[in-house]
Amino acid sequence: MSSEPRVVIVTGGSRGLGAGLVRSYLESGDRVATCARSITPEVEAWQKDPELADRFFFLPADLSQRVEAEAFVKGVVAQWDHVDVLINNAGVARDGILGLTSDDDIDTVIDLNLKGTLYVTRLVSRRMLARHSGTIVNVSSIVGRSGYRGLAVYSATKAALDGLTRALARELGSRGITVNGIAPGYLRTEMSHGLDEEQLQQIVRRTPSGRLGDPEDIARACQFLTDPRNTYLTGQILVVDGGLTG
Amino acid sequence: MATSQLKAEQAVRSFVARVKPETRELALDTPLYADGVGLDSLETAELSAVLEDELGTDPFTSDAMPQTLGDILTFYGTVAAEA
Repeated sequence: MSSEPRVVIVTGGSRGLGAGLVRSYLESGDRVATCARSITPEVEAWQKDPELADRFFFLPADLSQRVEAEAFVKGVVAQWDHVDVLINNAGVARDGILGLTSDDDIDTVIDLNLKGTLYVTRLVSRRMLARHSGTIVNVSSIVGRSGYRGLAVYSATKAALDGLTRALARELGSRGITVNGIAPGYLRTEMSHGLDEEQLQQIVRRTPSGRLGDPEDIARACQFLTDPRNTYLTGQILVVDGGLTG
Repeated sequence: MATSQLKAEQAVRSFVARVKPETRELALDTPLYADGVGLDSLETAELSAVLEDELGTDPFTSDAMPQTLGDILTFYGTVAAEA
């Protein structure tokens, strides 16, 4: 097995689950590139850490804009030549009953969660094809399977990502590229801030493991799926939700 | 012939030799797909990425969809002329 650090892209890695994924891959010795619309204290800390000088790359980018998605991927390739692992994590949620949802909110969620993911994956998978290797993980959500009142658009995009995972696994499998998904349950991140305390406690009561998830729970599953020894597990969606939907 | 055309021709010939070693002849008008070289869609995407890496742009993602090596060289000739 090569001792060269892997080149890992984590989209939307400036906060919450994405930052947890970035941290995990930095800790496993990989080179990690991430992007977000704005910089955060976590990103600044990684940028200033001398030990990460040649292992962390950040570019501000709104992936819902095709040109910015292209600039980000080209920036990573210019820096490190190729991409071994792509983790499509960037996403946004807008809560509210669909009947009252604005056009702008529908566009915002679909443009980033779905179109942004497609833009980045198209660019990265082309390069993985040329190398006959690579692994892709799409971070969806259990609400893409079970639904959630007030998250219709978000749920639709996450269900779409599961479809993307299965289709791409079939498309790229013959070239040694694995494509899997992770469907997290409810996590202690900004993404759950739309839920009030009563809703969160209700979720905890219904969850066999008796707690909300942490980004580290998802990162461990992601590391498993992207392990270079994993060449046979592909096209699957791994639900990591403490048993909530089991 | 422009430098980019020479580089493109070299890249295409090298690619075809690697993925379709059984190809006997690759003329400028040899079809790249079914009845010619026989590239499938994944191989075409791979060639597209190879050309982009080599030359910074490629005809397949520029709405050109070349059918032959000659079409690819024409694309790079046009790009060079516009530069």
